[in-house]
Amino acid sequence: MDARKSSIAISLVVVATLLLIVVGLLPGAKTLSIDAVVRALLAPDGKIESILVWTLRLPRSLAAAVAGAGLAVSGYLLQSLTRNPLADPGITGVTAGAVAPIVACFVLLPWVSSFYYPFAGLAGGLAAASVTFWVARGGNGRPLHLALGGISVSLFLGAITIYVLLLAGPQSTALMFWISGGFAGRTWSHLLHMLPWVIIGVVGALLLHRVIAMFSLSDHAAAGMGVQLNLWKPILLVLGICPVAGVAPAAGPVAFVGLAAPHIARLLRPRGTGWEIGLTAAIGSLIVTAADLTARTIAIPKELPVGIITALLGGPIFVYLIQRGRLEFKGERA
Amino acid sequence: MTSNSPAIAQPNAWLLPAAALLVLISLAAAVFLGVVDIPAEDIVAVLTGGGSSEARAIILDIRLPRIVTGILAGIQFALAGLILQTITRNPLADPSLMGVSQGATLTVTIFLLFTVYIFNPGSHTVAELPIGWLPAAGTVGGMIAGGIIYLLAFRLGLSPLRITLCGIAIGAILHAITIGLIAGWGSARIEIILEWLSGSLYARTWDHALFLLPFTAAGLAVLPLIYRPLILLQFDAAVARSFGLSYRKQFSLALLVSCALAASAVGSVGPIVFVGLVVPHLARFLAGRHFPLVLPLTIVLGAVIVTLGDLIGRLAGRAEEVPIGVVTAIVGAPALLALLRKVP
Repeated sequence: MDARKSSIAISLVVVATLLLIVVGLLPGAKTLSIDAVVRALLAPDGKIESILVWTLRLPRSLAAAVAGAGLAVSGYLLQSLTRNPLADPGITGVTAGAVAPIVACFVLLPWVSSFYYPFAGLAGGLAAASVTFWVARGGNGRPLHLALGGISVSLFLGAITIYVLLLAGPQSTALMFWISGGFAGRTWSHLLHMLPWVIIGVVGALLLHRVIAMFSLSDHAAAGMGVQLNLWKPILLVLGICPVAGVAPAAGPVAFVGLAAPHIARLLRPRGTGWEIGLTAAIGSLIVTAADLTARTIAIPKELPVGIITALLGGPIFVYLIQRGRLEFKGERA
Repeated sequence: MTSNSPAIAQPNAWLLPAAALLVLISLAAAVFLGVVDIPAEDIVAVLTGGGSSEARAIILDIRLPRIVTGILAGIQFALAGLILQTITRNPLADPSLMGVSQGATLTVTIFLLFTVYIFNPGSHTVAELPIGWLPAAGTVGGMIAGGIIYLLAFRLGLSPLRITLCGIAIGAILHAITIGLIAGWGSARIEIILEWLSGSLYARTWDHALFLLPFTAAGLAVLPLIYRPLILLQFDAAVARSFGLSYRKQFSLALLVSCALAASAVGSVGPIVFVGLVVPHLARFLAGRHFPLVLPLTIVLGAVIVTLGDLIGRLAGRAEEVPIGVVTAIVGAPALLALLRKVP
């Protein structure tokens, strides 16, 4: 695919996402007509329609789109960094690492402002990723070791999270909805808290696409082309975890997006790493926006957590990738 | 079929007596120690048929059923893990990593929500819930999850890596559905489900022990039948066949036994993670690759570790006890990580 086709592909995905966001403004406990939505969007007034659109439905749809882009790029960075097609914020334990300290803050340190939650998430995610990658290196970075290391880190943190939830008592219902991943009741402030972290990850990845491209070769090749591995590895790792840390406090864990989006983007074979990252971000946005729309319309007036929808979509993709032997690594076919 | 590496010494003769001693010590500790302090002579009196009614209630109705349930569940988890690790030739296989636990958890959650919302919408106390049926519900779910992985595994040509990855994927999907259901509909009963999700022996009664007993007994009774196949299945399909073994049949039988053991245990006590993973390794660490010794050691250590883990959880929190699943995760995860660093 040349640059023109790649940019067309990205534009198409972005347009589809925007369309979904607008369509997503229609359904809900009170279904709105298209012209009511357009009127409310263009000329907001104090009427119920514009309140529904501007304070309830638009911010959550945008939050879903932003979160999707962030998680997808996070997965892309983790996969390139480890040269491991399985790497994903969920599988490497980064999500569990971000969620556990946030739950702990919420229950044990209730006076801490939610502004600081992404920092706690970043610290936890970094710690979890470090342990997982350290373990994976023991197995020469094989997918199995990464997956098992990540899953044991996740189980460890998950056990602690559940214990903290038990301690939380009546608060646990709200927290439970949160740790299942979702955008219900997300406001502009959630979006604003999340945005800088996602921007750091996505823009950072786009700016560094040349370094990332080197990384997807071998360590030797990268070093041969003058890439300072020890300098860039930690930078890329932090960049990869930033979006998860930003998304986790607002939306909780949203599974499999980071795994699936880069693979889908690669299937389309865009030109060069930069385009691949852009397409990955756009596809991530589209997936989470669609999942969020499904989650809140499938059982009106009940809401499903969006994490279920992405797991139901992403899990089979994962199994498909395994079956097609696409999870090759260093000559070993998964 | 003893050790295949000359570096591994013959197993020590004192291993089994030492293990038996460990069982006695941990059993005694579990009976004599607890949140309520009861003088030792009172406990002895209860055990010999006397004692005050209060002490009798605590020992006979609370501590003992809990200990027995724990022992049976521990044996089942450890045995399930050993069988799974042997037949998949994957030293890291474990029911909690293979979707079986998640399947059991999902059906238990569905069962609880279903009974609350359909049959018993007004119920507000735990006593009104059909908790006695939870082990059966969990067993069904665990078996179904095991069946799905079995079907995928055969399509994938039984590669250990693929089976494990599929198990992780199926487990993640089932877990997400569970959490989603709890979040969406579980508000009224959330604490029961949470406690059960974390793997706990809290409030386990003789009913739980009685539910598990036939599974434990059947699992142990089948062992002589799958003993030789298990030893051969450690190698690959070709070796097993050259010894005249029907690979597919034996693999299926062993997997079925493993799933039944794990699923019924998860159904009764929740996912006590890592016992199935770590105990067989501990047994192999102690006994080398001497399978005739690894097997009994696995069974004994499974019982001991769950008993001690539960005792730690009971004593650690005092008022708010730490579920044993949390204890085993906190101890087991680092053990697995250390193991992963060593396994090439």
